Amino acid sequence: MFYTNMVLITIYRFNYRATAYMVKNGFYQFLNWFDERAWYPLGRIVGGTVYPGLMLTSGSIHYILHLLHINVHIRDICVFLAPVFSGLTAISTYLLTKELWSAGAGLFAACFIAIVPGYISRSVAGSYDNEGIAIFALQFTYYLWIKSVKTGSIFWAVAAALSYFYMVSAWGGYVFIINLIPLHVFVLLLMGRYSNKLFVSYTTFYILGLILSMQIPFVGFQPIRTSEHMAAGGVFALMFAVCFLKHLQSVTSKSEFKSLVIFGTLIAAGVVFLAVVLFTYAGYIAPWSGRFYSLWDTGYAKIHIPIIASVSEHQPTTWFSFFFDLHILVSTFPAGLWYCIKNINDERVFVVLYALSAVYFAGVMVRLMLTLTPVVCILSGIAFSNLIEFYLREDENGRVEESEEEEHTTPSKRLYDKAGRVPKMKHEQQKESSESSNAIGANLRSIVSVVVLLLLMLFAVHCTWVTSNAYSSPSVVLASYGADGSRQILDDFREGYYWLSQNTDDSARVMSWWDYGYQIAGMANRTTLVDNNTWNNSHIALVGKAMSSNETAAHEIMTMLDVDYVLVIFGGVIGYSGDDINKFLWMVRIAEGEHPKDIKESDYFTEQGEFRVDAEGSPTLLNCLMYKLSYYRFGELKLDYRSPAGFDRTRNAVIGNKDFHLTYLEEAYTTEHWLVRIYRVKKKDEFNRPRIPVASRVIKSPNFVSKKSTKRKKGTIKNKPVVVKGKRV
Amino acid sequence: MKTIIMKVFSLLFFSLLVYICVNGQPRRQSYSLGERVQQLTDMAGKRAVLRFNGNKFRDYVKASPRNYSVIIMFTAMAPQRQCQVCRHASDEFTIVANSYRYSQSYSNKLFFGVVDFDEGSDVFQLLRLNTAPVFMHFPPKGKPKAADTMDIQRVGFAAETLAKWIAERTDIQIRVFRPPNYSGTFALVVLFGIVAAFLYLRRNNLEFLYNKTMWGMGALFFCLAMTSGQMWNHIRGPPFLHKSNTGQIAYIHGSSQGQFVFETYIVMFLNFAVVFGMILLTDAARNKGDHKKRKIMAIVGLILLSIFFSLLLSVFRTKTHGYPYSFLFK
Repeated sequence: MFYTNMVLITIYRFNYRATAYMVKNGFYQFLNWFDERAWYPLGRIVGGTVYPGLMLTSGSIHYILHLLHINVHIRDICVFLAPVFSGLTAISTYLLTKELWSAGAGLFAACFIAIVPGYISRSVAGSYDNEGIAIFALQFTYYLWIKSVKTGSIFWAVAAALSYFYMVSAWGGYVFIINLIPLHVFVLLLMGRYSNKLFVSYTTFYILGLILSMQIPFVGFQPIRTSEHMAAGGVFALMFAVCFLKHLQSVTSKSEFKSLVIFGTLIAAGVVFLAVVLFTYAGYIAPWSGRFYSLWDTGYAKIHIPIIASVSEHQPTTWFSFFFDLHILVSTFPAGLWYCIKNINDERVFVVLYALSAVYFAGVMVRLMLTLTPVVCILSGIAFSNLIEFYLREDENGRVEESEEEEHTTPSKRLYDKAGRVPKMKHEQQKESSESSNAIGANLRSIVSVVVLLLLMLFAVHCTWVTSNAYSSPSVVLASYGADGSRQILDDFREGYYWLSQNTDDSARVMSWWDYGYQIAGMANRTTLVDNNTWNNSHIALVGKAMSSNETAAHEIMTMLDVDYVLVIFGGVIGYSGDDINKFLWMVRIAEGEHPKDIKESDYFTEQGEFRVDAEGSPTLLNCLMYKLSYYRFGELKLDYRSPAGFDRTRNAVIGNKDFHLTYLEEAYTTEHWLVRIYRVKKKDEFNRPRIPVASRVIKSPNFVSKKSTKRKKGTIKNKPVVVKGKRV
Repeated sequence: MKTIIMKVFSLLFFSLLVYICVNGQPRRQSYSLGERVQQLTDMAGKRAVLRFNGNKFRDYVKASPRNYSVIIMFTAMAPQRQCQVCRHASDEFTIVANSYRYSQSYSNKLFFGVVDFDEGSDVFQLLRLNTAPVFMHFPPKGKPKAADTMDIQRVGFAAETLAKWIAERTDIQIRVFRPPNYSGTFALVVLFGIVAAFLYLRRNNLEFLYNKTMWGMGALFFCLAMTSGQMWNHIRGPPFLHKSNTGQIAYIHGSSQGQFVFETYIVMFLNFAVVFGMILLTDAARNKGDHKKRKIMAIVGLILLSIFFSLLLSVFRTKTHGYPYSFLFK
């Protein structure tokens, strides 16, 4: 193993820390845990603001293993949780596809999801994240739901609700399930496919799921108070209305009530819809939250919530990303969709709706590619198994046996058919059967199967390539490739964090942009101001304001927040593009959202509206804290003999502000490739006050008027020696 | 006696009034600051955007001292000028002015005005303007600087950017309130109406609703549109093609981060061809019917599948540096 377990888990250090805390102190302590090392000086109530499913899963595995006296460290469990769960995902995908189509398609789908890059990014060892277990829960819930729709048994519906409960405890994406299943039911009602089975399974699932989901502290009363969950409630009410009308229809004569049923259903739907709108308007139900709303109104987040728009995972998806993550599946899954629609039944309605909604969401947000991946695997599995089933069939012997079997199983019919005819010789029989079953010659069939297998092989090598190149190395360790193809490991992040943990005070507070919050808390074990859980926008904006103000203003904010160290990521030396200067405009935008008077985005652009760091860049940019911290002493550095001093490789420019000094901060540590730069904020008595120009110096006014009267103006000398007259003895 | 005095007084008062009225006209230049603010406020009370001609512009905007900012849109709205942009700009400008007029922060520190070329061409000459529309900010003190002219070439003139620019120049935050756009809702209602009427007219023959081919085509089209990145186009608005200076046309964006509109159409077509090939192949094997026809179907399907997928792969290769695999074509 190349990387140790410690490295692998670093990005998800918060989850690991929370798990370790839970294992150590017990579940109830964990629910009440107040983490004072994050979001200084606010702190964070962890128990009420996380989905505890992940921690509970690994915690219970740890507990069971220890009961069996298998002593495994909780860290190892956390590292290997994601691969184990991806195995379970493959199994549940197989089960789901088998219910939808056939066992062969299920095998194809399971193989696809096992290697598809879109899912493997979440299931590599060390990816200890909510999504890893959530996709399993998602697929398994769908499987149980399909099973319950098919059978109409309460048992499967209860199982689906329990699986849904697990999903709620694991990931915020449970909203997708609680909207998709009602949508399925609603479309089935529209198609006139109402049945008692559907009634039983949906009502059981909804009520149990509702009550169970409210047990999660972070979810609380949301299922009955927010718009995201209202569709499920509306369909629940509609279901009862339809059931009632159907009952009326069954007790009276049918023809009279046909129109009544249709109109009654329409009226019921209208009433339910109006009630939800009215409740929302009256304030009983919270309107759509920003994150969900931005899925519908795609321009919304860009204008109103820069913190959502700033995350690269929330960008829309190019066709390149689709092809990169899904390869051949992206161009073949519509074929599976086509056959599902052509041979529609109750459960295939579900997979069609799943595909259409997931493909829309994946188009809006790169991150939701994760929900698209399973359904693409299912549909491609159906398409390929449909194809291969006919082309790869062993024709000669297989067909004969089959036809012989047919003859045996339905002898009476055959006999009746063949009565009076001379039984054929065996070779004649073969010829006829193979011809009738397959008009396409054996050559062509083998060519087709070879080509299809080649394509599948291409998919497999693509997945291997993508996985080894894009998703396998932990993002905390960067790898660069030299001209001769040799790999260099840049371990600057760990170097920087290790320095922090060894050389700073245990209670030191580190300010950095929120992307690095969890890493600093996890690897350096120091208090951070903001981190990847972006729950408090104004606090993030304050940090953004400090980064984008000039040094003096920034120092005021930093003293207000008790900052001891500032950490910036700078990629100009090695050409790392994900550094803080490239993220800087988002800091400005987020700060501007909260402090529009002090920070203006247009100040950071040149007259032509460009973002440049060279001499033509705007003076505000060249003097802000982030620029200074990134480029401090960089002007002296000559990277190679061709480029001038202070040449930034990431932005391909010579920096504009080379020669400056820091007043309120001092450089504490810079890593080997300058990737991590740490500065210490000077205390009040340490820094030299900046020189005040002569013109603006304030001198005490000379026209001082004494309040003493003329009489008292006569002064006395303090401590004047007093001659004590003694008596002559 | 008393009445006479009253009469004299009233006469005096009247003559004074007449005197003021008569002399009011030439004395316009010397309105005091208070009067000007009062008049502007009165005018702004009637309509959010004040119309200035040459004289009024000099009286209210050029006069000093001022303690108020004025945002002026220079425009040419007359039909014979044929300025389409001016009309859009004017709409956006009015939205901002109205949002300000009815907002909490409404005060007499900021006024909105418009100068039309046909009413105040002298102003255009004065400010050396030869294009329209132009948005300018006249600050309370001093002359407008370069940044007081809004750069509409770069940022456009949407109401939101106008408001942001005003906030930068004057420190007055205007929350743009667009009058709700009912055209979208209206179109939706009309569409629903047409669909409902269509269904009602064909109520005896609703078979087409059960036509699976139609639904299948719809679903397929939706999936292909989404997977070819049409949503990205909708949000980011990339150019249709790229024309370099040398006249070469690039159909495909060089980096993996971006795409052109035409490129997405190509990808959509390639994806469609692959899907079509797949369906042809499967149907050829499944259907019962003419042997020859099925054979041709299978061959065509195979060719579509392999050729177009390898084309797709080679398009993908041009966008990824160092991608090692290809199929049929490089």
